[in-house]
Amino acid sequence: MSAVNTSIKDVLYEPPGPKAQRRIRAATAISLVALAVVVVLVVRQFSVNGQLDPKYWSLFTRFTTWRFLGRGLAGTIEVALAAGAVAFALGMAMMLARISKYRILRGISIALIEFTRGVPTLLFIYFFFLIAPQFGLKLPAFWKITAPVAISAAGVVAEVLRSGVNAIPKGQTEAALSLGMRDSSVFFKIVFPQALRCVIPSLISELVIVLKDTTFAYVVNYADLMQNAKVLISNYDALVSVYLVTAVIYILINYVLNQISVALSRRGMPYALSGTI
Amino acid sequence: MVNKQSLTGSPGHSGFSDTSGFSGSSASPGLAPVIEMKHVDKFYGSLHVLKDVSLSVCKGEVVVLIGPSGSGKSTLCRTINRLETIDSGEIRIDGVPLPQEGKKLAELRSQVGMVFQSFNLFAHKTILENVTIGPVDVLHKSRKEAQEEALRLLERVGVKDQANKVPAQLSGGQQQRVAIARSLAMHPKAILFDEPTSALDPEMIGEVLQVMTELAGEGMTMVVVTHEMNFARRAANRVVFLDGGTILEENTPEEFFDHPKTQRARDFLDSIQHHV
Amino acid sequence: MSVQSLLSQYGDKYLSALLMTWKLTALAFALAFIIGIAITILRISPIRPLRAAGEIYVQIFRNIPGAALLIILVYAFPYLGLLWSYYSCVLIATSLIPSAFCSEYLMSGMNTIDFGQIEAARSLGMTFFQTIKNVVLPQALRSTVLQMTNLLVATMLTTALASQVPLNPTDLTGIVSYINTRTVGGITAFAISALLYCATAVVIGRIGSWLDRKVRILR
Repeated sequence: MSAVNTSIKDVLYEPPGPKAQRRIRAATAISLVALAVVVVLVVRQFSVNGQLDPKYWSLFTRFTTWRFLGRGLAGTIEVALAAGAVAFALGMAMMLARISKYRILRGISIALIEFTRGVPTLLFIYFFFLIAPQFGLKLPAFWKITAPVAISAAGVVAEVLRSGVNAIPKGQTEAALSLGMRDSSVFFKIVFPQALRCVIPSLISELVIVLKDTTFAYVVNYADLMQNAKVLISNYDALVSVYLVTAVIYILINYVLNQISVALSRRGMPYALSGTI
Repeated sequence: MVNKQSLTGSPGHSGFSDTSGFSGSSASPGLAPVIEMKHVDKFYGSLHVLKDVSLSVCKGEVVVLIGPSGSGKSTLCRTINRLETIDSGEIRIDGVPLPQEGKKLAELRSQVGMVFQSFNLFAHKTILENVTIGPVDVLHKSRKEAQEEALRLLERVGVKDQANKVPAQLSGGQQQRVAIARSLAMHPKAILFDEPTSALDPEMIGEVLQVMTELAGEGMTMVVVTHEMNFARRAANRVVFLDGGTILEENTPEEFFDHPKTQRARDFLDSIQHHV
Repeated sequence: MSVQSLLSQYGDKYLSALLMTWKLTALAFALAFIIGIAITILRISPIRPLRAAGEIYVQIFRNIPGAALLIILVYAFPYLGLLWSYYSCVLIATSLIPSAFCSEYLMSGMNTIDFGQIEAARSLGMTFFQTIKNVVLPQALRSTVLQMTNLLVATMLTTALASQVPLNPTDLTGIVSYINTRTVGGITAFAISALLYCATAVVIGRIGSWLDRKVRILR
């Protein structure tokens, strides 16, 4: 009865009768008015406080503004990709330890996973920013933001990879072993490639988290999108408009990444999380 | 039959299996139909799934709907309590036109039972709660009263010992019998069965048909969509054959199975015989 | 610096920092849950403009970085005539973001319901609201226990945003930066905070899986 793509939204209500249809039409009209009022109030709030003044918005007609924001965005993307790669490597190592034959390795891995998942990114950032230098570890700003963001994503990556590995039927391993393959080549040639394919959507969701965490780059003075936005603000004295535009850029990038994740999970990569913070 | 505890609580009688000379879609004279469909049409987009369907079901009658898949028999069954809407025509229950929405529709549905192909027991509730939730929440009976009756009904369909389990712990056959008990707890005027045995393993079909046959014997008004021809022969007062959204034949089971009038009914019966 | 000397000097501050983190987490999660339910009602309502508004809300707050939201609340909103305390700004930021995820989880929880059961409820004569009360809500909530547990932990991690504004008392992250700008050798400070976060997360996780086992729906 229920087709593959039906969602709760389609089955929660019965086909409306004439009375329900009238009510829905009335509610639609009222809600449109209400939403319009909200928009008007927001615009009014901007206007009353002088924030619609062209001086705050005209900078966005200039190419240099966008080039400067673009440079910041490039910094953000560099950190996000580097942190993503490091998180993948760390997560992979933790996952291998987590499924290894040795109890001690498994125990250490579980502790590390819990640790990286239970501690806020900001605390790791303070570790690399304030504490590590006390021990003589003076990293460039790039790594001061990349390392903590990567570490705080690593535990989740490990668990995501493990869920993928667990989802591969035992029969695959048995078949490969019966062909005479060694344990390690069974894992790396047969099981892991399939597992990775399964969890790509979840890994993309995790990349969104990594990208969001990079906004803390201002703590370590690294020139990312947020940091460059601050420079723009001091140059143009246009705080509200610049911060709003910056937020919209972040939202759009993450939205696109999430949509890619959803699209891939519909294409037979079933292990998409419904997203995490 | 006399000594047997009744499933429905109504005095047992043997239905209308001796109705002779029955013909056409109109109800037998003198008997008010419980379910009455007149010139019902339904479309799914441009697909005409029910074409000018008229059907009456009298009190105590057991009507079996058969036909090839896609013939519209399930859809027809589901229009009777408006799980499917219709585009034109009229459906009356006990002489009252089917309400289109709201409390009136809910009230009417509480009087017409429905048994689904996939059981549709509430997965988070125990078997007992599945049977009491309707009487308590919809009919506003006391919990105690509802539980007592639910246990009686569960005993009657043979799953009383499972009362405190949840649906997933029961076999398909047991779940479907619970679903029947859930319907009966509402004391419905009629029960609609939408392919009640199609999702069951073969060894469980018998136990569900057994309960349905007993219900039929006790005079419950039933509309049954099924592929179980033996059940139709044994329990039905009337067989309605649908194909392409149209009622092609309507007859007593003996007449229909032994002397089908239309070619399509003959083809359908042949195809079934070959497969069973 | 040893644990003992650190605690003798900053013990009180640590206790109040821990309580601050817990308080923010509990309040933000409660708010997120209430807002999440409200947004979910909009998203499943039959009224299209409300559905669209709900979707836009979710897309904004699940995709905006917490730091960006907090910065806007703290620095941009005063220019729009909305001057709120630092504490309010932190609480708003740490509840709006989880609220979007809460709604997403509720939606996916509702989608796990076998839709036939909704028809069965209707067939018993249940009205729309009875169907919601008896079938949709209980099943959606039960099937999202683990996700909500993760959301609670994630909310706790989000409250570290509190360290980005001057708060008194500060939170478990803020105190590490506070101690390290005054004393050298603050790796102990880091370790204590990290441990307290982790312990809280583990306890929440345990309670969550216990609750999940208790209410999980067999299918």
